Amino acid sequence: MAPDDKGALFPAEGGVRERVIAFLQKAISQGCFDAVLMPAKAPGTDSFAYSLIGDGQLLKNAYPLPPVMSVQGAKAISSLTRSGKGKKKIAALIRPCELRATVELFKLGQVDLENIWLISIDCPGALPLAEWAKDPKKAEDAFAEILKGGPSESIRPICQICDKFSTTGAEDLHIGVPGKEASGILLIPNSPKGEAILDCLGIAAGEDISGWKDQVDKLTGARVEKKRQAQKELEAKSKGLDKLLDTFSKCINCHNCMRVCPICYCRQCFFESDNMQFSFEDYLKRAEAAGGLRLPPDTLLFHIGRMLHMSLSCVSCGACEDACPTAIPVAQVFSLVGNRNQEAFDYIPGRSRDEPPPLRVYQEEEFEEVEQSHAAVPAKQEARDG
Amino acid sequence: MAKRLGVYVCECGTNIADKVDIDKVLAAVSALKDVEVADRYKLLCSGDGQGYLKQSITENGLTHLVVAACSPKQHETTFMKVCEQAGLNPYLFQLVNIREQCAWVTPDGEEATDKAIRQIRAAISRVHYHTALEKKGMECNPDVLVIGGGIAGIKASQILAAPDRKVYLVEKTASLGGKTKRFSKLFVNMESGPGLIAGEIERLQKSKNIEVLTESEAEQILGFLGNFEVKVVSKAEDKEDKEQNFNVGAVVLATGFELFDAKGLPQYGYGTLDDVYTSLDFEEMNLADGPTQGKVLLKNGQPPKSAAIIHCVGRAEKGYCSKVCCLYSFKFDRMLQSQLPGVKIAHFYSDLCIPGKANQKFYEDTRESGVEFVRSAVTEIAGGDKGLTVKYETETGAKGDLAVDMVILLPAMETSSDARKFAEMLNIPQDDKGFLAEEHQLLSPVASAVEGVFVIGCARGPQSIAESIVQAEAAAGKILSALVPGRKLELEVKTSQILESFCTGCKTCIEVCPYGAITFDEDRRISVVNEVLCHGCGNCAAACPSGAARLKHFTFPQIYQELKEVLR
Repeated sequence: MAPDDKGALFPAEGGVRERVIAFLQKAISQGCFDAVLMPAKAPGTDSFAYSLIGDGQLLKNAYPLPPVMSVQGAKAISSLTRSGKGKKKIAALIRPCELRATVELFKLGQVDLENIWLISIDCPGALPLAEWAKDPKKAEDAFAEILKGGPSESIRPICQICDKFSTTGAEDLHIGVPGKEASGILLIPNSPKGEAILDCLGIAAGEDISGWKDQVDKLTGARVEKKRQAQKELEAKSKGLDKLLDTFSKCINCHNCMRVCPICYCRQCFFESDNMQFSFEDYLKRAEAAGGLRLPPDTLLFHIGRMLHMSLSCVSCGACEDACPTAIPVAQVFSLVGNRNQEAFDYIPGRSRDEPPPLRVYQEEEFEEVEQSHAAVPAKQEARDG
Repeated sequence: MAKRLGVYVCECGTNIADKVDIDKVLAAVSALKDVEVADRYKLLCSGDGQGYLKQSITENGLTHLVVAACSPKQHETTFMKVCEQAGLNPYLFQLVNIREQCAWVTPDGEEATDKAIRQIRAAISRVHYHTALEKKGMECNPDVLVIGGGIAGIKASQILAAPDRKVYLVEKTASLGGKTKRFSKLFVNMESGPGLIAGEIERLQKSKNIEVLTESEAEQILGFLGNFEVKVVSKAEDKEDKEQNFNVGAVVLATGFELFDAKGLPQYGYGTLDDVYTSLDFEEMNLADGPTQGKVLLKNGQPPKSAAIIHCVGRAEKGYCSKVCCLYSFKFDRMLQSQLPGVKIAHFYSDLCIPGKANQKFYEDTRESGVEFVRSAVTEIAGGDKGLTVKYETETGAKGDLAVDMVILLPAMETSSDARKFAEMLNIPQDDKGFLAEEHQLLSPVASAVEGVFVIGCARGPQSIAESIVQAEAAAGKILSALVPGRKLELEVKTSQILESFCTGCKTCIEVCPYGAITFDEDRRISVVNEVLCHGCGNCAAACPSGAARLKHFTFPQIYQELKEVLR
């Protein structure tokens, strides 16, 4: 469900942060929801973490758009609701990629959204975690400039080619950030739950939002093109087993990428399980056959396996790349592969709560061209033998 | 305990020996890890061969066995039995198919030999990781679920019920009897339908071993011949829904038919013109407790002086002949004539279908009694002040009109609206007309594609009452011979299991399980396999992202070890 061209203008002043906080404070004071789950700065530190805030006053520490994505929001929601819903109504304010990951986890039974109101916000991207860690204050200042509309070259490479930075269709309410001249933020309801928030606030979705939409569409178009170009270059650098081995040659097997990935929801990763433990003799045989064996083994296999397991749900959030200590472009490679796989199934992860993950549905008529190409093999063989 | 492997290559007469260099194979595999014996034999599946194998297993104290011979479809169970006789767990054995997969398909002898070595090496590598599995058995459940309380379901229940066999007869409506109880007279002997049904219901009710559940529907049926788990929900209007769960050994579907909706063909005026009836409406009118107390009357309360009977309403749309309409239409002639002496009747038909030993005579007598038969297509039934007009066109293109007081349509019989529900629930196919399909049209007409599920009566296509009863008896016969109380069922050994510590509760396995064998434990938030229902297809093991679902005998290490050697 794409929002039509109507939304509500929530009048507020200040920067994006102040405006969003004003909205949340009002919503909590009116009882639209009981608490907000969103990034906030831990008092006395420079760190941002997801916090469950029930007191409107404490919202002054909140950062709807922190400079970095330290924890993927879907993971925060999952940790809160994985073993069932609570009685309180909670609004989760997260970035669009976090929201899409949440929707994927919802389909996989890892979050309960009954008492959660999903709210997304136009996202300007995030800075690389490593850059921020070097000098948090400096990074925060740099990000403040980006929020004001300054140049955005310093955001993460994966964010620079993100074409899903605004409404995704699966949120209850989207916060549109219009140009500086606007006198507030746009609240765009996308479900009956979202409409209930507007009712509770006593404002109607009567505002024409086409100006904001044009601005989003324009940037989306530019990002799509930029992504196409970037992925073409990346493909040239990483396609094929040899290049892929090169790309992941710096991997130190820390598995951080898997641990921070919102979609990697397994209790224990298959690649860390007893399924992947082999005998000394096995390894020796492999070493003999290949002339040598890298240990611990199966480094690339881990990445390919993870790709196979989660790429259909990959939302290109970049958490894996942020977590990689050796600066492998994990997110960019996974996003490239994920996009191709998703296109094959006409599936966009997180687009809809009702769309089943492709591997759970069986269609008799699909991928006939793949079947055809396999069916043609014996014929070729025959021609060769003949 | 140290492993002691035996590897035996079967020559299969000349089938394998002529192509594969067996001595070279033996030389290549005899030095592999833990291989105690490697030998060849002329024909291992022969009596002598099996004897040799058994003796060799015992004498050499083998712990694992690899046989390279033919397709597992042909002799896997043969060699598993030999293992059992020799005291070796049959799951510590692996069969390699070097006949179909090497000797017969690889033209070059050397290549075939290399391939055989590769495959045997893979089997040796795999069998090291086999674990002994125990056979499981359960006693078959002799009880039967019959769905549909029409004549077919009633007769099947009567035959099946016995002191050691309970029958559950589930009927959607409030009373038994199906369509038959609405037929005032039955073709060909003009017996009373309600009378016949009342007698049958009385017989049924006398049996202590039949539990009749009216206003009830089967909501879930999982399992296989000898062991189905059934959930039935009773939905009586004035009571709360009541759920019942029980097990049966077989299921009989007697879900009957519905009439093609004549409103779908507006040219016949059904639903818009007065005095246009379907065959079921007419039957209803003739019932003593019907709307006119059994009298054939027009809407204005007058008896009709003439009637037209229109055949094949919806036949072209459905694409088949319903085969009983012609017959019961002659019954209508008698019913009209007996109530309304002098009534003029005309049949409009394109083909008449009257097979059977007594039926031709019935038709000829009807014709001689003055009933007119007009071979033509009816283009329209028109209404007017003076009654109805049947407009028709004969084969030669001649057009005609006939004014009548009453029109009776003979709509096609179509599949019951429940057919799809049961087809999906039980995984049985529907034919191209939507009826529940038989296993084989000629050879196995009352069995479905699922063992233990039978389809009788109009659920599998238009049938007469007599045919429906024959099918009820046929299905009952099959069930009685298959479900002998006390008979042991062998359950699948290679089932799936879900490890609690790995399961994240994403339910992917539940969605891909075709047997309904996995349920979700809400308390522990994990998926759980019902090993009795599991057929070991491995869908769950393949789909589970975290490796929590594992299929016995096809574990990851076993497959990995096998593949590794094939690819090396």
